[in-house]
Amino acid sequence: MKRKKVWTQWKWTVYAAIPTGIIILPLYFIAIGGFQSVAEIFHKPPHLFPPNPTTAYYKDALFTLAPYLRNSLIIALGVLGVTLVVALPSAFALAKFQFLLKRPASFILAFTQVLPATAIIIPLFLIFSRVGLINNYLGVILGISVFTIPFATIVLNAYIQAIPSGLIEAALIDGAGFFRIFTSIIVPLASPAIATASILTLIMAWGDFIFALSFLKERTLQPMSIGLYNFIGQYGIQWNKLMAGSMIFAIPPLIVALLAGKAIVAGLTAGAFKE
Amino acid sequence: MKETRTAYFFLLPALLYVLVFGLYPLLYNVSLSLKDVTFITYVQGTARFVGLGNYSELANDPIFRRTFSNTLLFTGLSILFQFTIGFFLALLFNRSFPLKGILQSLIMVPWVLPIIVSGSFFRWFFSDNGMLNGFLTAFGIVTRPIPWITSGHLPIFSVTMANIWLGIPFNFVLLYTGLQGIPEELLESAAIDGATGWQRVVYIITPLLRPVILATLTLGCIFTVKVFDLVWIITQGGPGDVSHLFSTLSYSLAFNKLHFGKASAVLVVMLLVVMLLTVFLNLFQKEA
Repeated sequence: MKRKKVWTQWKWTVYAAIPTGIIILPLYFIAIGGFQSVAEIFHKPPHLFPPNPTTAYYKDALFTLAPYLRNSLIIALGVLGVTLVVALPSAFALAKFQFLLKRPASFILAFTQVLPATAIIIPLFLIFSRVGLINNYLGVILGISVFTIPFATIVLNAYIQAIPSGLIEAALIDGAGFFRIFTSIIVPLASPAIATASILTLIMAWGDFIFALSFLKERTLQPMSIGLYNFIGQYGIQWNKLMAGSMIFAIPPLIVALLAGKAIVAGLTAGAFKE
Repeated sequence: MKETRTAYFFLLPALLYVLVFGLYPLLYNVSLSLKDVTFITYVQGTARFVGLGNYSELANDPIFRRTFSNTLLFTGLSILFQFTIGFFLALLFNRSFPLKGILQSLIMVPWVLPIIVSGSFFRWFFSDNGMLNGFLTAFGIVTRPIPWITSGHLPIFSVTMANIWLGIPFNFVLLYTGLQGIPEELLESAAIDGATGWQRVVYIITPLLRPVILATLTLGCIFTVKVFDLVWIITQGGPGDVSHLFSTLSYSLAFNKLHFGKASAVLVVMLLVVMLLTVFLNLFQKEA
Protein backbone atom coordinates (compact mmCIF):
# COMPACT_ATOMS: atom_id res chain seq x y z
CA MET A 1 0.00 0.00 0.00
CA LYS A 2 2.72 2.41 1.00
CA ARG A 3 4.83 1.47 -1.99
CA LYS A 4 1.93 2.30 -4.26
CA LYS A 5 1.62 5.75 -2.73
CA VAL A 6 5.31 6.42 -3.27
CA TRP A 7 4.92 5.34 -6.89
CA THR A 8 2.00 7.69 -7.60
CA GLN A 9 4.01 10.49 -6.09
CA TRP A 10 7.22 9.74 -8.03
CA LYS A 11 5.68 8.25 -11.16
CA TRP A 12 5.92 11.49 -13.17
CA THR A 13 9.44 12.15 -11.96
CA VAL A 14 10.48 8.82 -13.49
CA TYR A 15 8.58 9.51 -16.72
CA ALA A 16 10.18 12.95 -17.02
CA ALA A 17 13.65 11.75 -16.05
CA ILE A 18 13.87 9.28 -18.96
CA PRO A 19 13.71 11.78 -21.87
CA THR A 20 15.70 14.31 -19.84
CA GLY A 21 18.43 11.72 -19.32
CA ILE A 22 18.57 10.98 -23.05
CA ILE A 23 18.81 14.70 -23.84
CA ILE A 24 21.81 15.22 -21.58
CA LEU A 25 23.65 12.06 -22.73
CA PRO A 26 25.97 14.05 -25.05
CA LEU A 27 27.10 16.10 -22.07
CA TYR A 28 27.85 12.92 -20.16
CA PHE A 29 29.94 11.51 -23.01
CA ILE A 30 31.83 14.79 -23.34
CA ALA A 31 32.59 14.74 -19.62
CA ILE A 32 33.85 11.12 -19.54
CA GLY A 33 35.65 11.54 -22.88
CA GLY A 34 38.13 13.84 -21.15
CA PHE A 35 38.99 11.14 -18.58
CA GLN A 36 40.01 8.53 -21.17
CA SER A 37 43.01 7.86 -23.39
CA VAL A 38 42.63 8.08 -27.17
CA ALA A 39 42.63 4.28 -27.40
CA GLU A 40 39.89 4.03 -24.78
CA ILE A 41 37.78 6.71 -26.39
CA PHE A 42 37.74 4.72 -29.67
CA HIS A 43 36.99 1.38 -28.00
CA LYS A 44 34.15 -0.59 -29.61
CA PRO A 45 31.56 -0.49 -28.20
CA PRO A 46 32.27 2.88 -26.57
CA HIS A 47 32.88 2.70 -22.81
CA LEU A 48 29.90 3.84 -20.76
CA PHE A 49 32.24 4.52 -17.83
CA PRO A 50 35.91 5.50 -18.16
CA PRO A 51 37.82 2.23 -17.48
CA ASN A 52 40.98 3.94 -16.12
CA PRO A 53 39.90 7.49 -15.34
CA THR A 54 42.73 10.02 -15.29
CA THR A 55 42.65 13.77 -14.81
CA ALA A 56 45.80 14.21 -16.91
CA TYR A 57 43.94 15.32 -20.04
CA TYR A 58 41.85 17.83 -18.15
CA LYS A 59 44.96 19.32 -16.57
CA ASP A 60 46.72 19.36 -19.91
CA ALA A 61 43.75 21.03 -21.64
CA LEU A 62 43.37 23.60 -18.89
CA PHE A 63 47.04 24.46 -19.13
CA THR A 64 47.19 24.81 -22.93
CA LEU A 65 43.85 26.55 -23.26
CA ALA A 66 44.09 28.99 -20.33
CA PRO A 67 44.98 32.03 -22.54
CA TYR A 68 41.92 31.34 -24.69
CA LEU A 69 39.74 31.22 -21.58
CA ARG A 70 41.09 34.60 -20.53
CA ASN A 71 40.14 36.03 -23.95
CA SER A 72 36.65 34.54 -23.68
CA LEU A 73 36.25 36.27 -20.35
CA ILE A 74 37.45 39.64 -21.69
CA ILE A 75 35.04 39.42 -24.62
CA ALA A 76 32.08 38.31 -22.49
CA LEU A 77 32.61 41.10 -19.95
CA GLY A 78 33.09 43.65 -22.73
CA VAL A 79 29.82 42.61 -24.34
CA LEU A 80 28.09 42.76 -20.96
CA GLY A 81 29.36 46.31 -20.35
CA VAL A 82 28.37 47.64 -23.77
CA THR A 83 25.01 45.88 -23.62
CA LEU A 84 23.96 47.18 -20.21
CA VAL A 85 25.11 50.74 -20.84
CA VAL A 86 23.14 50.91 -24.09
CA ALA A 87 20.14 48.70 -23.26
CA LEU A 88 19.19 50.02 -19.82
CA PRO A 89 18.37 53.60 -20.92
CA SER A 90 16.50 52.38 -23.98
CA ALA A 91 14.44 49.96 -21.90
CA PHE A 92 13.57 52.86 -19.57
CA ALA A 93 12.50 55.02 -22.53
CA LEU A 94 10.36 52.29 -24.06
CA ALA A 95 8.79 51.23 -20.77
CA LYS A 96 7.90 54.61 -19.25
CA PHE A 97 7.44 57.20 -22.02
CA GLN A 98 4.93 57.81 -24.80
CA PHE A 99 6.41 59.17 -28.02
CA LEU A 100 5.84 59.17 -31.73
CA LEU A 101 8.54 56.71 -32.77
CA LYS A 102 7.91 54.23 -29.99
CA ARG A 103 6.36 51.52 -32.15
CA PRO A 104 8.87 51.74 -35.01
CA ALA A 105 11.71 51.79 -32.49
CA SER A 106 10.45 48.63 -30.75
CA PHE A 107 9.96 47.01 -34.11
CA ILE A 108 13.50 47.79 -35.24
CA LEU A 109 14.89 46.32 -32.03
CA ALA A 110 12.80 43.15 -32.31
CA PHE A 111 13.75 42.83 -35.98
CA THR A 112 17.47 43.19 -35.31
CA GLN A 113 17.24 40.57 -32.61
CA VAL A 114 16.12 37.87 -35.08
CA LEU A 115 18.57 38.89 -37.82
CA PRO A 116 21.02 36.17 -38.80
CA ALA A 117 24.57 37.01 -37.76
CA THR A 118 25.69 35.81 -41.20
CA ALA A 119 23.59 38.58 -42.77
CA ILE A 120 25.74 41.31 -41.23
CA ILE A 121 29.10 39.59 -40.92
CA ILE A 122 30.41 40.27 -44.45
CA PRO A 123 29.70 44.04 -44.46
CA LEU A 124 30.98 44.34 -40.88
CA PHE A 125 34.14 42.48 -41.82
CA LEU A 126 34.77 44.79 -44.79
CA ILE A 127 34.05 47.94 -42.77
CA PHE A 128 35.98 46.77 -39.71
CA SER A 129 39.03 45.87 -41.79
CA ARG A 130 39.17 49.51 -42.93
CA VAL A 131 39.00 50.97 -39.45
CA GLY A 132 41.30 48.57 -37.63
CA LEU A 133 38.66 46.56 -35.79
CA ILE A 134 39.88 43.22 -37.13
CA ASN A 135 42.20 41.43 -34.71
CA ASN A 136 40.85 43.67 -32.01
CA TYR A 137 38.64 42.60 -29.08
CA LEU A 138 36.46 45.63 -29.68
CA GLY A 139 35.38 44.45 -33.15
CA VAL A 140 34.05 41.17 -31.76
CA ILE A 141 32.43 42.91 -28.79
CA LEU A 142 30.64 45.37 -31.09
CA GLY A 143 29.47 42.54 -33.34
CA ILE A 144 28.03 40.34 -30.60
CA SER A 145 26.36 43.34 -28.97
CA VAL A 146 24.20 43.89 -32.07
CA PHE A 147 22.17 40.94 -30.83
CA THR A 148 22.51 41.21 -27.06
CA ILE A 149 21.40 44.87 -26.94
CA PRO A 150 17.91 44.30 -28.40
CA PHE A 151 17.62 41.11 -26.39
CA ALA A 152 18.48 42.82 -23.10
CA THR A 153 16.27 45.80 -23.93
CA ILE A 154 13.27 43.52 -24.39
CA VAL A 155 13.95 41.60 -21.17
CA LEU A 156 14.48 44.80 -19.17
CA ASN A 157 11.56 46.64 -20.74
CA ALA A 158 9.08 43.98 -19.59
CA TYR A 159 10.29 44.39 -16.02
CA ILE A 160 10.63 48.18 -15.88
CA GLN A 161 7.05 48.54 -17.12
CA ALA A 162 5.94 46.96 -13.86
CA ILE A 163 7.69 49.59 -11.72
CA PRO A 164 4.91 51.96 -10.55
CA SER A 165 4.98 55.26 -12.46
CA GLY A 166 3.87 56.96 -9.24
CA LEU A 167 7.42 56.60 -7.93
CA ILE A 168 8.78 58.54 -10.89
CA GLU A 169 6.11 61.24 -10.61
CA ALA A 170 6.80 61.68 -6.90
CA ALA A 171 10.53 62.08 -7.62
CA LEU A 172 9.75 64.64 -10.35
CA ILE A 173 7.69 66.67 -7.88
CA ASP A 174 10.61 66.51 -5.46
CA GLY A 175 12.70 68.15 -8.16
CA ALA A 176 14.74 65.15 -9.39
CA GLY A 177 15.73 65.15 -13.06
CA PHE A 178 15.16 62.17 -15.35
CA PHE A 179 18.81 61.17 -15.26
CA ARG A 180 18.71 61.12 -11.46
CA ILE A 181 15.46 59.11 -11.57
CA PHE A 182 17.08 56.65 -13.95
CA THR A 183 20.19 56.09 -11.83
CA SER A 184 18.61 56.12 -8.37
CA ILE A 185 15.14 54.64 -8.92
CA ILE A 186 14.96 52.62 -12.13
CA VAL A 187 18.35 50.91 -12.05
CA PRO A 188 18.17 49.74 -8.39
CA LEU A 189 14.56 48.60 -8.68
CA ALA A 190 15.24 46.75 -11.93
CA SER A 191 18.16 44.82 -10.45
CA PRO A 192 16.48 41.38 -10.67
CA ALA A 193 15.86 41.95 -14.39
CA ILE A 194 19.39 43.30 -14.80
CA ALA A 195 20.65 40.05 -13.28
CA THR A 196 18.57 37.96 -15.71
CA ALA A 197 19.63 40.04 -18.72
CA SER A 198 23.27 39.87 -17.62
CA ILE A 199 23.22 36.09 -17.24
CA LEU A 200 21.72 35.59 -20.68
CA THR A 201 24.07 38.13 -22.25
CA LEU A 202 27.09 36.45 -20.71
CA ILE A 203 25.97 33.01 -21.90
CA MET A 204 25.47 34.33 -25.44
CA ALA A 205 28.79 36.20 -25.53
CA TRP A 206 30.73 33.32 -23.95
CA GLY A 207 29.36 30.90 -26.55
CA ASP A 208 29.90 33.18 -29.56
CA PHE A 209 31.59 31.46 -32.45
CA ILE A 210 31.01 33.33 -35.70
CA PHE A 211 32.23 36.80 -34.74
CA ALA A 212 35.45 35.55 -33.20
CA LEU A 213 35.95 33.15 -36.14
CA SER A 214 35.64 36.00 -38.63
CA PHE A 215 37.27 38.92 -36.83
CA LEU A 216 40.08 37.39 -34.76
CA LYS A 217 42.77 35.71 -36.84
CA GLU A 218 45.56 36.29 -34.36
CA ARG A 219 45.86 33.33 -32.00
CA THR A 220 46.77 35.38 -28.95
CA LEU A 221 43.42 37.20 -29.17
CA GLN A 222 41.16 34.26 -29.88
CA PRO A 223 38.59 33.07 -27.33
CA MET A 224 38.11 29.50 -26.21
CA SER A 225 35.46 28.73 -28.86
CA ILE A 226 38.08 29.31 -31.55
CA GLY A 227 40.83 27.66 -29.51
CA LEU A 228 38.74 24.48 -29.52
CA TYR A 229 37.88 24.94 -33.18
CA ASN A 230 41.58 25.15 -34.10
CA PHE A 231 41.95 21.79 -32.38
CA ILE A 232 39.39 20.22 -34.74
CA GLY A 233 41.23 21.57 -37.77
CA GLN A 234 44.41 19.72 -36.86
CA TYR A 235 45.30 16.50 -38.58
CA GLY A 236 44.72 13.61 -36.17
CA ILE A 237 42.42 15.27 -33.70
CA GLN A 238 43.07 14.38 -30.06
CA TRP A 239 39.44 13.86 -29.18
CA ASN A 240 40.06 13.20 -25.50
CA LYS A 241 41.83 16.52 -25.03
CA LEU A 242 39.19 18.25 -27.12
CA MET A 243 36.42 16.80 -24.95
CA ALA A 244 38.26 17.81 -21.78
CA GLY A 245 38.68 21.35 -23.11
CA SER A 246 35.05 21.46 -24.21
CA MET A 247 33.90 20.41 -20.77
CA ILE A 248 36.03 23.08 -19.09
CA PHE A 249 34.58 25.69 -21.44
CA ALA A 250 31.01 24.47 -20.77
CA ILE A 251 31.23 24.44 -16.98
CA PRO A 252 30.61 28.16 -16.29
CA PRO A 253 27.39 28.40 -18.33
CA LEU A 254 26.26 25.01 -16.99
CA ILE A 255 26.64 26.12 -13.39
CA VAL A 256 24.80 29.34 -14.10
CA ALA A 257 22.03 27.44 -15.85
CA LEU A 258 21.53 25.06 -12.96
CA LEU A 259 21.56 27.87 -10.39
CA ALA A 260 19.45 30.27 -12.40
CA GLY A 261 17.31 27.95 -14.52
CA LYS A 262 14.15 29.87 -13.63
CA ALA A 263 15.68 33.20 -14.63
CA ILE A 264 16.78 31.78 -17.98
CA VAL A 265 13.34 30.44 -18.77
CA ALA A 266 11.73 33.72 -17.70
CA GLY A 267 14.16 35.76 -19.79
CA LEU A 268 13.79 33.52 -22.83
CA THR A 269 10.02 33.82 -22.79
CA ALA A 270 9.97 37.58 -22.14
CA GLY A 271 9.67 37.86 -25.88
CA ALA A 272 13.30 37.45 -26.71
CA PHE A 273 14.95 34.39 -28.08
CA LYS A 274 18.08 32.72 -29.18
CA GLU A 275 17.68 29.51 -31.10
CA MET B 1 4.92 60.10 -19.53
CA LYS B 2 5.10 62.74 -22.20
CA GLU B 3 8.67 64.08 -21.89
CA THR B 4 9.39 63.28 -25.52
CA ARG B 5 12.81 64.80 -25.71
CA THR B 6 13.99 62.91 -22.63
CA ALA B 7 12.62 59.69 -24.09
CA TYR B 8 14.60 60.12 -27.32
CA PHE B 9 17.70 60.97 -25.32
CA PHE B 10 17.47 57.66 -23.47
CA LEU B 11 16.51 55.67 -26.55
CA LEU B 12 19.09 57.13 -28.91
CA PRO B 13 22.16 55.00 -28.03
CA ALA B 14 20.35 51.70 -28.62
CA LEU B 15 18.60 52.89 -31.74
CA LEU B 16 21.78 54.30 -33.26
CA TYR B 17 23.63 51.14 -32.35
CA VAL B 18 21.28 48.75 -34.14
CA LEU B 19 20.96 51.10 -37.11
CA VAL B 20 24.73 51.45 -37.56
CA PHE B 21 25.86 47.91 -36.73
CA GLY B 22 22.72 45.94 -37.66
CA LEU B 23 20.50 47.49 -40.30
CA TYR B 24 23.13 49.38 -42.27
CA PRO B 25 25.25 46.23 -42.82
CA LEU B 26 22.08 44.36 -43.77
CA LEU B 27 21.30 46.88 -46.52
CA TYR B 28 24.95 47.08 -47.50
CA ASN B 29 24.67 43.35 -48.23
CA VAL B 30 22.01 44.03 -50.82
CA SER B 31 24.23 46.53 -52.58
CA LEU B 32 27.22 44.16 -52.40
CA SER B 33 25.10 41.45 -54.00
CA LEU B 34 24.66 43.63 -57.10
CA LYS B 35 28.40 44.12 -57.62
CA ASP B 36 31.33 41.86 -58.48
CA VAL B 37 33.03 42.48 -55.14
CA THR B 38 36.14 40.44 -54.41
CA PHE B 39 38.70 41.42 -51.82
CA ILE B 40 40.87 43.14 -54.43
CA THR B 41 38.07 45.12 -56.08
CA TYR B 42 36.84 46.11 -52.64
CA VAL B 43 40.20 47.43 -51.49
CA GLN B 44 40.82 49.23 -54.78
CA GLY B 45 37.23 50.49 -54.91
CA THR B 46 36.85 49.15 -58.45
CA ALA B 47 33.94 46.76 -57.96
CA ARG B 48 31.60 46.98 -60.95
CA PHE B 49 27.82 47.02 -60.84
CA VAL B 50 26.64 43.75 -62.37
CA GLY B 51 22.89 43.97 -61.74
CA LEU B 52 21.46 40.56 -61.08
CA GLY B 53 24.57 38.87 -62.44
CA ASN B 54 25.47 37.21 -59.15
CA TYR B 55 21.92 35.91 -58.82
CA SER B 56 21.82 34.39 -62.29
CA GLU B 57 25.19 32.78 -61.66
CA LEU B 58 23.73 31.21 -58.51
CA ALA B 59 20.64 30.00 -60.34
CA ASN B 60 22.88 28.04 -62.72
CA ASP B 61 25.13 26.72 -60.00
CA PRO B 62 24.41 23.09 -59.00
CA ILE B 63 26.02 23.72 -55.59
CA PHE B 64 23.61 26.55 -54.91
CA ARG B 65 20.63 24.46 -55.99
CA ARG B 66 21.74 21.68 -53.71
CA THR B 67 22.15 24.23 -50.91
CA PHE B 68 18.62 25.45 -51.51
CA SER B 69 17.09 22.00 -51.17
CA ASN B 70 19.42 21.20 -48.25
CA THR B 71 18.17 24.25 -46.37
CA LEU B 72 14.53 23.36 -46.95
CA LEU B 73 15.13 19.75 -45.91
CA PHE B 74 17.14 20.80 -42.87
CA THR B 75 14.51 23.31 -41.78
CA GLY B 76 11.52 21.07 -42.42
CA LEU B 77 12.90 18.02 -40.61
CA SER B 78 14.38 20.05 -37.76
CA ILE B 79 11.12 21.87 -37.03
CA LEU B 80 9.01 18.73 -37.36
CA PHE B 81 11.03 16.80 -34.78
CA GLN B 82 12.00 19.64 -32.45
CA PHE B 83 8.43 20.77 -32.23
CA THR B 84 7.00 17.29 -31.67
CA ILE B 85 9.56 16.42 -29.00
CA GLY B 86 9.25 19.84 -27.36
CA PHE B 87 5.45 19.57 -27.28
CA PHE B 88 5.61 16.09 -25.82
CA LEU B 89 8.00 17.25 -23.09
CA ALA B 90 5.90 20.33 -22.36
CA LEU B 91 2.82 18.13 -21.84
CA LEU B 92 4.85 15.79 -19.65
CA PHE B 93 6.07 18.64 -17.46
CA ASN B 94 2.67 20.33 -17.25
CA ARG B 95 1.98 18.96 -13.73
CA SER B 96 3.81 19.09 -10.45
CA PHE B 97 6.10 16.28 -9.31
CA PRO B 98 9.22 15.96 -7.16
CA LEU B 99 12.52 17.24 -8.67
CA LYS B 100 10.67 18.97 -11.50
CA GLY B 101 12.82 22.12 -11.22
CA ILE B 102 16.10 20.27 -11.64
CA LEU B 103 14.85 18.19 -14.57
CA GLN B 104 13.58 21.34 -16.27
CA SER B 105 16.97 23.00 -15.91
CA LEU B 106 18.64 19.89 -17.35
CA ILE B 107 16.43 20.03 -20.45
CA MET B 108 17.95 23.47 -21.08
CA VAL B 109 21.44 21.95 -21.40
CA PRO B 110 21.54 21.89 -25.24
CA TRP B 111 20.68 25.60 -25.27
CA VAL B 112 23.23 26.52 -22.62
CA LEU B 113 26.21 24.59 -24.02
CA PRO B 114 28.47 26.75 -26.19
CA ILE B 115 27.91 25.74 -29.81
CA ILE B 116 31.54 24.72 -30.28
CA VAL B 117 31.10 22.16 -27.50
CA SER B 118 28.00 20.48 -28.93
CA GLY B 119 29.40 20.84 -32.45
CA SER B 120 32.68 19.10 -31.59
CA PHE B 121 30.80 16.36 -29.79
CA PHE B 122 28.65 15.63 -32.82
CA ARG B 123 31.66 15.73 -35.11
CA TRP B 124 33.22 13.02 -32.98
CA PHE B 125 29.91 11.17 -32.57
CA PHE B 126 29.31 10.96 -36.35
CA SER B 127 32.92 10.46 -37.45
CA ASP B 128 33.87 7.23 -39.26
CA ASN B 129 35.40 5.61 -36.18
CA GLY B 130 33.27 7.68 -33.81
CA MET B 131 30.75 6.81 -31.20
CA LEU B 132 27.68 6.10 -33.32
CA ASN B 133 29.59 3.73 -35.60
CA GLY B 134 31.24 2.27 -32.50
CA PHE B 135 27.87 1.19 -31.13
CA LEU B 136 26.46 0.11 -34.49
CA THR B 137 29.40 -2.09 -35.45
CA ALA B 138 29.98 -3.53 -31.97
CA PHE B 139 26.38 -4.73 -31.79
CA GLY B 140 26.50 -6.09 -35.32
CA ILE B 141 23.83 -3.73 -36.64
CA VAL B 142 26.13 -2.77 -39.48
CA THR B 143 29.26 -4.56 -40.60
CA ARG B 144 31.11 -1.54 -41.93
CA PRO B 145 31.11 1.98 -40.44
CA ILE B 146 28.55 4.29 -42.06
CA PRO B 147 30.04 7.54 -43.49
CA TRP B 148 27.67 9.80 -41.54
CA ILE B 149 29.54 13.01 -42.34
CA THR B 150 32.25 11.94 -44.75
CA SER B 151 30.54 11.03 -48.05
CA GLY B 152 27.33 10.34 -49.93
CA HIS B 153 23.95 11.80 -49.12
CA LEU B 154 24.05 11.37 -45.36
CA PRO B 155 25.92 14.48 -44.11
CA ILE B 156 22.94 16.81 -44.37
CA PHE B 157 20.79 14.32 -42.44
CA SER B 158 23.45 13.94 -39.76
CA VAL B 159 23.71 17.68 -39.15
CA THR B 160 19.91 17.81 -39.11
CA MET B 161 19.85 15.22 -36.32
CA ALA B 162 22.32 17.30 -34.33
CA ASN B 163 20.22 20.40 -34.90
CA ILE B 164 17.05 18.66 -33.72
CA TRP B 165 18.76 17.96 -30.41
CA LEU B 166 19.88 21.57 -30.21
CA GLY B 167 16.39 22.99 -30.75
CA ILE B 168 14.48 20.93 -28.20
CA PRO B 169 14.86 23.39 -25.26
CA PHE B 170 13.61 26.33 -27.30
CA ASN B 171 10.42 24.54 -28.37
CA PHE B 172 9.94 23.07 -24.91
CA VAL B 173 10.21 26.43 -23.12
CA LEU B 174 7.81 28.28 -25.39
CA LEU B 175 5.19 25.53 -25.43
CA TYR B 176 5.52 24.84 -21.71
CA THR B 177 4.98 28.52 -20.90
CA GLY B 178 1.98 28.53 -23.22
CA LEU B 179 0.51 25.49 -21.45
CA GLN B 180 0.80 27.27 -18.10
CA GLY B 181 -1.73 29.78 -19.42
CA ILE B 182 -4.47 27.17 -19.91
CA PRO B 183 -6.76 27.11 -16.85
CA GLU B 184 -6.52 23.81 -15.03
CA GLU B 185 -10.27 23.70 -14.31
CA LEU B 186 -10.91 23.46 -18.03
CA LEU B 187 -8.83 20.30 -18.34
CA GLU B 188 -10.23 18.88 -15.11
CA SER B 189 -13.83 19.32 -16.17
CA ALA B 190 -13.04 17.76 -19.53
CA ALA B 191 -11.51 14.81 -17.68
CA ILE B 192 -14.65 14.48 -15.54
CA ASP B 193 -16.73 14.48 -18.72
CA GLY B 194 -14.71 11.47 -19.80
CA ALA B 195 -12.19 13.04 -22.21
CA THR B 196 -9.06 10.90 -22.51
CA GLY B 197 -5.60 12.40 -22.41
CA TRP B 198 -5.37 12.41 -26.20
CA GLN B 199 -8.78 13.99 -26.61
CA ARG B 200 -7.78 16.77 -24.22
CA VAL B 201 -4.64 17.43 -26.23
CA VAL B 202 -6.41 17.44 -29.59
CA TYR B 203 -9.67 19.22 -28.74
CA ILE B 204 -8.77 21.57 -25.90
CA ILE B 205 -5.04 22.18 -25.61
CA THR B 206 -4.11 22.48 -29.29
CA PRO B 207 -6.84 25.00 -30.26
CA LEU B 208 -6.20 27.14 -27.16
CA LEU B 209 -2.48 27.01 -27.77
CA ARG B 210 -2.77 27.92 -31.44
CA PRO B 211 -1.18 31.40 -31.18
CA VAL B 212 1.73 30.01 -29.14
CA ILE B 213 2.16 27.10 -31.56
CA LEU B 214 2.28 29.46 -34.54
CA ALA B 215 4.73 31.78 -32.80
CA THR B 216 6.95 28.81 -31.93
CA LEU B 217 6.88 27.52 -35.51
CA THR B 218 7.54 30.98 -36.97
CA LEU B 219 10.49 31.69 -34.71
CA GLY B 220 11.68 28.13 -35.21
CA CYS B 221 11.74 28.65 -38.99
CA ILE B 222 13.52 32.01 -38.68
CA PHE B 223 16.17 30.49 -36.44
CA THR B 224 16.58 27.25 -38.39
CA VAL B 225 16.91 28.63 -41.92
CA LYS B 226 19.82 30.78 -40.72
CA VAL B 227 21.78 28.09 -38.83
CA PHE B 228 25.50 28.49 -39.38
CA ASP B 229 27.75 27.47 -36.49
CA LEU B 230 26.63 23.89 -36.03
CA VAL B 231 27.04 22.92 -39.68
CA TRP B 232 30.28 24.87 -40.02
CA ILE B 233 31.77 23.02 -37.06
CA ILE B 234 30.60 19.53 -38.05
CA THR B 235 31.10 19.49 -41.84
CA GLN B 236 32.00 23.02 -43.06
CA GLY B 237 29.36 22.35 -45.70
CA GLY B 238 31.39 19.46 -47.04
CA PRO B 239 32.56 17.03 -48.07
CA GLY B 240 32.55 18.47 -51.59
CA ASP B 241 29.93 21.11 -50.78
CA VAL B 242 27.17 18.51 -50.24
CA SER B 243 25.97 19.66 -46.84
CA HIS B 244 25.83 23.45 -47.23
CA LEU B 245 23.05 25.59 -45.89
CA PHE B 246 22.62 29.15 -47.24
CA SER B 247 24.68 30.59 -44.42
CA THR B 248 27.62 28.19 -44.70
CA LEU B 249 27.74 28.50 -48.49
CA SER B 250 27.72 32.27 -48.18
CA TYR B 251 30.42 32.16 -45.53
CA SER B 252 32.68 29.92 -47.55
CA LEU B 253 32.18 32.06 -50.69
CA ALA B 254 33.09 35.16 -48.69
CA PHE B 255 35.87 34.02 -46.41
CA ASN B 256 37.45 31.11 -48.31
CA LYS B 257 36.98 32.28 -51.90
CA LEU B 258 36.70 36.04 -51.22
CA HIS B 259 33.71 36.38 -53.58
CA PHE B 260 31.88 38.86 -51.39
CA GLY B 261 29.32 39.83 -54.03
CA LYS B 262 28.15 36.30 -54.69
CA ALA B 263 28.20 35.52 -50.97
CA SER B 264 25.91 38.48 -50.31
CA ALA B 265 23.54 37.32 -53.03
CA VAL B 266 23.18 33.97 -51.24
CA LEU B 267 22.28 35.85 -48.06
CA VAL B 268 19.69 37.97 -49.78
CA VAL B 269 18.06 34.79 -51.07
CA MET B 270 18.15 33.39 -47.55
CA LEU B 271 16.46 36.49 -46.12
CA LEU B 272 13.77 36.28 -48.82
CA VAL B 273 13.09 32.65 -47.92
CA VAL B 274 12.81 33.58 -44.23
CA MET B 275 10.38 36.37 -45.05
CA LEU B 276 8.25 34.11 -47.24
CA LEU B 277 8.07 31.47 -44.51
CA THR B 278 7.09 34.10 -41.93
CA VAL B 279 4.34 35.50 -44.15
CA PHE B 280 3.10 32.00 -44.94
CA LEU B 281 2.86 30.99 -41.27
CA ASN B 282 1.13 34.25 -40.41
CA LEU B 283 -1.67 33.43 -42.84
CA PHE B 284 -2.78 30.80 -40.35
CA GLN B 285 -2.69 33.32 -37.52
CA LYS B 286 -5.29 35.54 -39.19
CA GLU B 287 -7.69 32.68 -39.88
CA ALA B 288 -7.99 31.93 -36.19
